[in-house]
Amino acid sequence: MSSGSHGTGCGVVIGICLVVLFQQFGYLNLSDIVPTIEYLVIGIVVGGIVGGLIGWVLGRGYLARHAADEAATSP
Amino acid sequence: MRPPYGRLRRIGLSAALAAIVAAALLVSVPASARAQPTALVAPAQTSGGVDYTVTWNTVDVSSASSSSSALAIDLTSSASLVYYWNVSHGATPPTISDARLQMFYLGFAVATRDQVLTSPAPGSGSIPLSWTPISVSYLLEGLYRLTASFIAPNGTTMYSENFWVRGTAAYGLLAVLPIVLLIIVIYEVYGLARSGRYAAIGAKGGAPPPPTPPPSSSSTPPPAAAPPAEGSEESNAPAGDAGGTAPPAGGSS
Repeated sequence: MSSGSHGTGCGVVIGICLVVLFQQFGYLNLSDIVPTIEYLVIGIVVGGIVGGLIGWVLGRGYLARHAADEAATSP
Repeated sequence: MRPPYGRLRRIGLSAALAAIVAAALLVSVPASARAQPTALVAPAQTSGGVDYTVTWNTVDVSSASSSSSALAIDLTSSASLVYYWNVSHGATPPTISDARLQMFYLGFAVATRDQVLTSPAPGSGSIPLSWTPISVSYLLEGLYRLTASFIAPNGTTMYSENFWVRGTAAYGLLAVLPIVLLIIVIYEVYGLARSGRYAAIGAKGGAPPPPTPPPSSSSTPPPAAAPPAEGSEESNAPAGDAGGTAPPAGGSS
């Protein structure tokens, strides 16, 4: 599993939870099934994309840091 | 290798960020308030010459016909609803035997209350209904659509009206669902912040596995049989059965 796919998974879960959480705080209407599915799809897609990008960026940063660490420790 | 205090500092920053987000969400929770008995400005809804009106703590629910004008209620206290119907002159008097209140979530009725009249009669009338959503308040809060229905003795819905309520749990946030959701969100944000560690695993994913070490001594006997391949039946069969299913040589006649 790469950092991008792990970030995508986290983003999808966060997107779903935020949609339901916004309803619990009174910002969204999830009484009917039709807007509920639309909101959930939007949350999944946006969360997945943003999470994947964040994970990819963090993965690149992690690899760059560890490459610099290995270069610093090598004789 | 990063020093340990750097990692602790990052974890602390992540925890502080999660706490700030949670606090911001909690502060924005609407204050618990009951529906105020304002003037009944909304006209009664007429259907077939009969005026139907439903009040929620003396507030006409038709004034909360959209989610933006939802009634702010406290889910831990009871609500008094009264269903009125008034027959105009010349109209056929309906017979109402049941007043029903339904609360919808994700397209399903999560709470239903009925107040049934034992001896309904045609004409005008009213049915009081008291609802204490204590069991729901431990689980849910937020914005919900409610439906008040007038039911005839044969089960026909004579009239129904949708309205919206914005319910708050005890102390603003003591319902199970928002607490669980907040915990999941904080955990996933923490996992997202640490997702960079998976880059090393992903980079190693295409590398071949390390070679097996050579046997330590020549006296070690070789394994009796190779591990059976997945789905192979012949390798598990005993030697005596090897020819059991084979056709006999020259057996054709």
